[in-house]
Amino acid sequence: MIATHASGRWQGRFDAMPPLAWLALHAAALWPHWRWAAARLMDGSDDPLGIAALVVLLFVVVKLEPQLRAAPKPGWLLLSLAATGGAALALFGAPALVGALLAALALAAGLRSFMPSGQAVLPMAGLAVLSLPVVSSLQFYAGFPLRVVTAQLSTWLLQAIGLAAERSGTAMVVQGRLVIVDAPCSGVQMVWMAYFCACAVAAFSGLRDRQLLARLPWVGVLVMAGNVLRNSVLVALEAQQEQVAEAVHQGVGLVVLALVCAAVAAVIRGGRDARA
Amino acid sequence: MPRPLYPLHPLTRTGRVMWCIALSLFSALLMLFWSPAHADDSEAPKAEGPYFAVNSSDPGTDRLPLKSTQVDVRISGVIADVTVTQHYRNEGQRAIEARYLFPGSTQAAVHAMSVRLGDRLLTARIKEKQQARIEYEAAKKEGKTSALLEQHRPNVFEMNVANILPGDDVAVELRYTELLTPRDAQYGFVFPTVVGPRYNSPDRAAVNGPAVGGAYLKSGEVPPAAFNIRVTLDTPVPVKEIASPSHEVVVDGAGTWHAAVSLKPTEKPANNRDFILNYRLAGDRIESGLMLFRGPDDGGENFFLAMIEPPKAIASRQINPRDYIFVVDISGSMHGYPLDTAKLLLRNLIGGLRASDTFNVLLFSGSNRMLSPTSVPATRANIEQAIKTINAMGGSGSTEIVPALKRVAAYPKADDVSRSVIFVTDGYVSVEAEVFQLIRQNLNQSNVFAFGIGSSVNRHLIEGMARAGQGEAFIVTKPDQAAEQAERLRKIIESPVLTQVKLRFEGLDVYDVEPAQLPDVLGGRPVVVFGKWRGDEGGPVNGKLIVEGRTADGAYRNELATAGREDQTSAALRHLWARQRIASLSDQEALEGNGAQKAAITQLGLGYSLLTQYTSFIAIDRRVRNPNPALAPTVDQPSPMPEGVSNAAIGAEVPSTPEPGALLALLVVIGIVGATLWSRRRD
Repeated sequence: MIATHASGRWQGRFDAMPPLAWLALHAAALWPHWRWAAARLMDGSDDPLGIAALVVLLFVVVKLEPQLRAAPKPGWLLLSLAATGGAALALFGAPALVGALLAALALAAGLRSFMPSGQAVLPMAGLAVLSLPVVSSLQFYAGFPLRVVTAQLSTWLLQAIGLAAERSGTAMVVQGRLVIVDAPCSGVQMVWMAYFCACAVAAFSGLRDRQLLARLPWVGVLVMAGNVLRNSVLVALEAQQEQVAEAVHQGVGLVVLALVCAAVAAVIRGGRDARA
Repeated sequence: MPRPLYPLHPLTRTGRVMWCIALSLFSALLMLFWSPAHADDSEAPKAEGPYFAVNSSDPGTDRLPLKSTQVDVRISGVIADVTVTQHYRNEGQRAIEARYLFPGSTQAAVHAMSVRLGDRLLTARIKEKQQARIEYEAAKKEGKTSALLEQHRPNVFEMNVANILPGDDVAVELRYTELLTPRDAQYGFVFPTVVGPRYNSPDRAAVNGPAVGGAYLKSGEVPPAAFNIRVTLDTPVPVKEIASPSHEVVVDGAGTWHAAVSLKPTEKPANNRDFILNYRLAGDRIESGLMLFRGPDDGGENFFLAMIEPPKAIASRQINPRDYIFVVDISGSMHGYPLDTAKLLLRNLIGGLRASDTFNVLLFSGSNRMLSPTSVPATRANIEQAIKTINAMGGSGSTEIVPALKRVAAYPKADDVSRSVIFVTDGYVSVEAEVFQLIRQNLNQSNVFAFGIGSSVNRHLIEGMARAGQGEAFIVTKPDQAAEQAERLRKIIESPVLTQVKLRFEGLDVYDVEPAQLPDVLGGRPVVVFGKWRGDEGGPVNGKLIVEGRTADGAYRNELATAGREDQTSAALRHLWARQRIASLSDQEALEGNGAQKAAITQLGLGYSLLTQYTSFIAIDRRVRNPNPALAPTVDQPSPMPEGVSNAAIGAEVPSTPEPGALLALLVVIGIVGATLWSRRRD
């Protein structure tokens, strides 16, 4: 098609824009949500873990760039548009996090519309969601249930190995000593880490969406088990000694985190290369 | 193929793109002018209840405006005249309002306050509390330096000084008088230096008055304000044995009629515990008798004070079996040193019971539990078991004393058994009024004794509980006093001294006698009576005071003559009489509730210029000195944590199991992911 009018030439230039440029424009259009995310990052209410997820996401997208095709698929594009509309509407009343989530999903859908068919988008969507400041909100909504469940399972575990333990609320009384499972102990950070690990490994392994979806519940189970293990070990130590050193807390936590992430990576990879 | 239906005429491709651009520009413009709402923390209500002082991030504000407290005590006979001078100095760059919560003696009659600002002296006036607060807030808004002294409890006061400009040195002086009553021939003067952090039961403010809060330093932190106290004693008989169990003091003139006591300068801070000074008069005499004060001739009131030595205690031959209920506070503020002292005291108390007595122990903090479902006989085995259980307790949790009281009140009691209820606590609660009411209403069949444990006991609660329960108050500041105080209790229970006490005046026209109903005399305390009298102007006064009662041996009678005992310098009697009257009206009000005696107490406070729960002292400078009064922040002067009390009194330090730091965790995860992908690459 040869354009004979100035507007037509401009249209041609629009059509010839690379997909990443479209995505960048789309992202720029969603700037209020990034402004909120940046503000949350700076005010110290959250650890800046999202930046790591963002970096990995950008790396994946850049790696994917040669495969992106110029004509996007309308279905995914419509979904992206709907999510963008939802994100814009959310600015007027819904919590900021909901708007940011819709914006992240809109971008993921937009990316999917440019990708060749059969490619997995779930890891990218997951990384986009994880790059938002979600940990505090997760702590707020899911923190208490996680703590109660962790405390209960820890109590059963300690009872099974012979220590006198009982749970009251989110605190545990082990051999007469009160130890509380408070907000920093709830395992929400480990949840974030585990899902980040799962999405990153899935993105680089080229795992299919359906396979990833089938394996995600295992990630949840592994995280729960890991947090219960970490909590039980630390509570048992706290109950025996007067003061457990900070280094011990960190060390045990990191070891359990490494174990959980290794297990998650193994599960996600599935032991074979799933690239088509 | 059917033609597709277009509700609107479809745009050309160019048109569609242009339309999208226009729409997005419009929404971008909308976003720019739409500001989302965010929470405003300045409107948040201030925290009630005690809290740890936080280091401010603003270096220009002086967070410690109180630089020193100077106390000057003049004891003349049995009346102590105390002048407390608080120096506030603003060493920052911003004008501030200073707030300071400080204690006073439970018997103190605060009757004057003045503010020295540079070279000017402002004398404070006594006003009704709400009115004083309104005037103070107005003066604060206008930028005038002003001072307001309010009473939160009879032994807790709050000083507010507004608009202290940078470089200002404000000295606030308040004066109070106090009556010193001896016990077993020993006189004790107590000056409390710090209010202990109180547990405020939620939603009890309506009954008990406002929550008692305050900023505190952590346990062991050196208080920033200096403290100095000087006591001079003028006694009719030479003083012997002056000593302070709480501080290291230097005594001048022991053994003479005029002694002076001052603090020895030491490294240890002096203002984190009560200052206690004990002394005896030569021959173990106590000043007893009738003290008269003739008021000014133009219709002023005349006052008298009668202090009658009690008869000696004789152990009664009949020893009836008694039931003892020990109510022990094991809250966070008792954790550590105070609880150790309490444990030793209980060992002495329970260990001294007879086999024919029965006992039970109620431990309370946030909840409460009895050691056994019913009272058990005080056999060796039971005593050992109880002591073992108590020794294993640690202090933690809140101090819900009212539910514990209700449980004791509901505890069944046989009619022929006399019961003694013994409270062991540091008194760090704010529900005093409710406690007194409950004791009066429900424990009037028992004798209530209260032991206050610690270096800064809430004496208002302890003394009030004993008064409400017709018992006696004991203060144990150190473990080595525990045995002695337990022995005192045993003696008191075994030998009540004087009951059915009645006073009669012959030849003297008296009225407004306080207390109207004389309590039983226990444990070596004199009978103290205040009142007013009418006499011929200028003429000598001849009259007799007759005390009658019953002792274990039979009827008792004592007479005191009044001739030649007028004293022109005891102006303090005026304030002390009014203070007694206010105290009994407050007791009555606590029983009736709803501020029933507010008008009467306010009138007394205004008439006699006394600080009460309904009247406050206020001093306002005429000059407007602060150009920006709205910018002056309010600074709560932090008090030191009372000696021996741990941080558990305010914040529970319960261990937890936090997750590892985010950065380290992230590095670990990235390492794992990298390792996974690297190993996959090598496949």
